[in-house]
Amino acid sequence: MSSRESGNQQLLKIQRIDDLLQRNLWDVDHRPHIVVDTSRCTDCEYKPCVLLCPAGCYTLVDSKLLFSYEGCLECGTCRTVCPREAITWNYPVSGRGVLYRFS
Amino acid sequence: MKRPRIVVGIKWVPNTQAVRFDPKTGTLIREGVPSIVNPHDLDAIELALKTREKYGGEIIVVTMAPPGAEEGLRHVIGMGVDRAILVSDRVFAGSDTLATSYTLAKTIERIGRVDLVFFGQETIDSSTAHIPAQVASWLDLPYIYYVESIEKLELKENKVVVKRKLEDRYEWYEVELPVVIGVAMHSNPPRPISLTNKLRAVTEKPIEVWTNKQLGLDPRCIGLRGSPTIVSKVTWQPEIPRKRKIYQGNPKEAVKWLIKHLEEEKVLP
Amino acid sequence: MATKFDAIVVGAGPAGATAAYKLAEAGIKTLLVERGRGRGSKQVFGGRIYVTPVREVFPDVEKTAPIHRWVKREKISILHNSRILSLEYESPEKHSFTTYLTEFTSWIVDKAINAGAVYVDEVRVDSIVEEDGRITGIEAGGERIEASIVIDAEGVNRLLLEKLGLAERLSPEEVALGAKEVIKVGADKINERFGLEEDSGLAWLLVGEPTDYLPGGAFIYTNRDSVSIGVVVYLATAVKKAREEIYRLVEKLRLHPQLRQYWEDGDIIEYSAHLTIESGRRFMPRKLATSGLIVVGDAAGLLLNTGYTFRGVDYAVYSGYLAAEAAKKAFNLGDFSEETLRENYEKKLLGSFIAKDLRNHTGVEQIMHEVEFFEKYPVVAIDTARKLFELGYETPRIQEALRSSLKTHHINLLSFLYKMFKMVRKL
Repeated sequence: MSSRESGNQQLLKIQRIDDLLQRNLWDVDHRPHIVVDTSRCTDCEYKPCVLLCPAGCYTLVDSKLLFSYEGCLECGTCRTVCPREAITWNYPVSGRGVLYRFS
Repeated sequence: MKRPRIVVGIKWVPNTQAVRFDPKTGTLIREGVPSIVNPHDLDAIELALKTREKYGGEIIVVTMAPPGAEEGLRHVIGMGVDRAILVSDRVFAGSDTLATSYTLAKTIERIGRVDLVFFGQETIDSSTAHIPAQVASWLDLPYIYYVESIEKLELKENKVVVKRKLEDRYEWYEVELPVVIGVAMHSNPPRPISLTNKLRAVTEKPIEVWTNKQLGLDPRCIGLRGSPTIVSKVTWQPEIPRKRKIYQGNPKEAVKWLIKHLEEEKVLP
Repeated sequence: MATKFDAIVVGAGPAGATAAYKLAEAGIKTLLVERGRGRGSKQVFGGRIYVTPVREVFPDVEKTAPIHRWVKREKISILHNSRILSLEYESPEKHSFTTYLTEFTSWIVDKAINAGAVYVDEVRVDSIVEEDGRITGIEAGGERIEASIVIDAEGVNRLLLEKLGLAERLSPEEVALGAKEVIKVGADKINERFGLEEDSGLAWLLVGEPTDYLPGGAFIYTNRDSVSIGVVVYLATAVKKAREEIYRLVEKLRLHPQLRQYWEDGDIIEYSAHLTIESGRRFMPRKLATSGLIVVGDAAGLLLNTGYTFRGVDYAVYSGYLAAEAAKKAFNLGDFSEETLRENYEKKLLGSFIAKDLRNHTGVEQIMHEVEFFEKYPVVAIDTARKLFELGYETPRIQEALRSSLKTHHINLLSFLYKMFKMVRKL
């Protein structure tokens, strides 16, 4: 169970992206809705996805790009900024993914 | 040829991700928490759909819930089940697992001939895994749990072979029909919702609502009166903050490093 | 499955749901398909809706819509170096309101269902089907449903229009990224801390520090018992100049020493993100209708972003309404040709206040790309104000304060004046 205690002591400092995403309601599909061909990323200079994905789905580990679709907010930014067209982008099926209630 | 009739029991549960705990009052905050079909029940639905693909037949989903659960029933009809029965009546409110299993068992009896009864392994809101066992018990049927797949179904011979997964082995069982089956969680990831099935859920009327008028159950056996369970207290286990230590380097050193840190944290003696 | 529909609407956002409602109301057999679960579960916006165009379509909006607060106070601020320079405007009139788009959209979807539209959620449409040069239906998961007319309300990511060759792949120059947190504070605390009445609200835009001086801006809207705070950055510049993750910018806004007082005891109840169109005029597809197809809302580029005003939801509602009117005509004529649909939809839309707005404000986005406006000018403004207000011994004249601030930041006065003039003209 990923429920958390209400209260905001821990909110007095900058939240990690995972903790921010935990605020939302999710029904994540076991099938990824976005596929990244990371072989195209090695010679990508800016890797704009890393800073601009608002869900932090793109991270660098030992300067290699690592992608995880689970926290995706379905905004389309990565697809737009990727200079290598390395991203096969779509929305999740069956109503899965993020479930907004207050936005 | 005889076709199997499969009943799948599902539960409409609060999305536990959204449930919070109020440490002051010691209660769960359920306000504004939307409900979902218990995710582990979707494995059962998927296994039912696979069975129907192979052997034909009919899938009937049953749930006992308030009227809002129709949304969840439309979801599983969207996956492809044929019809759904929503057992919904104020007199069922406050049911524990005993009263719930009794009500569900009586509902299944009323459906008529049934060959297979599927349930998910457990629910995310209570995790008791009582229901399938108790339903089997009320109906005096065999019960097999942790089932992953239906290996062979022979309606003529009135038997089924199922495969179940345990921690260290697989087991195969041949049992007489009808049988109650608990489907192992994550064993059958659900298929996507289909456009035409979802459309059918909205335009045709595949959901029946059954009240106690139809079922005619003894009020002493259902709802709060039929529920001997007493919840005396709910406590909260706060999440332990992660230390988030990450070792980067070669695997040999990593083992030493890990043991040293686990000892320091008194995880290892 | 022999179900056939007269009309299919793809996407149950404000545009699509409005179109479906108006079509169903006219007795047209309408299917509204939405990829999200339930109603409005994939919807994100900044925070406010202008009411006048919505009222024309839904006369009961003030009585029945889920309005949180009427925006009666507007505030625009420059933030830099622990200093805030603001312009504030207050009015007793009800011109725009705050809400959650998820709620507002649900309100319209319910209307569509009550009017007789068939609403199917949890289904992602994979393509709009074209046969012999005309649109004949939709496809999802390999299944097809046919209709005489399809209304595309798919939103800013135009996957379907791209497949049809009616839109290009999005480029960073066309859109900005918005990320927002909703923080539950409580109605009383909001009233007290922002100095607001029960049903009145605040719309607050900020530039400078909150975007890390990137082109874009930050926003704060007061909802019923929560505040929406967020950051919008123009992707074209952010791609190269961003130094920090966007969610960290939102977090810094939340924890800003001079702003946190408004919500710091509140709880973050949601974190969301969405792309927003920067220049609607440029984003607009070459044509807004083809044989059997009408494009509405964000997909049609109907969003205005002037840097101080964001309008999209009212345009979306209005375009959905215009699309339904055009479709009704097409059914009467039995003619779904491109000519007829463009005549009755595109022409109407291009003649409406929406297109006028978009034309009027064309060019604003060019300014928005000029890094100076966000990197240097906020700093100069704050510096100038500091010299004017934070007095020691000497009391400078305004001109002196400005000149010396410009000098500190190596900006030529003439070029500054020219750019300001250009901006004022564009705005």
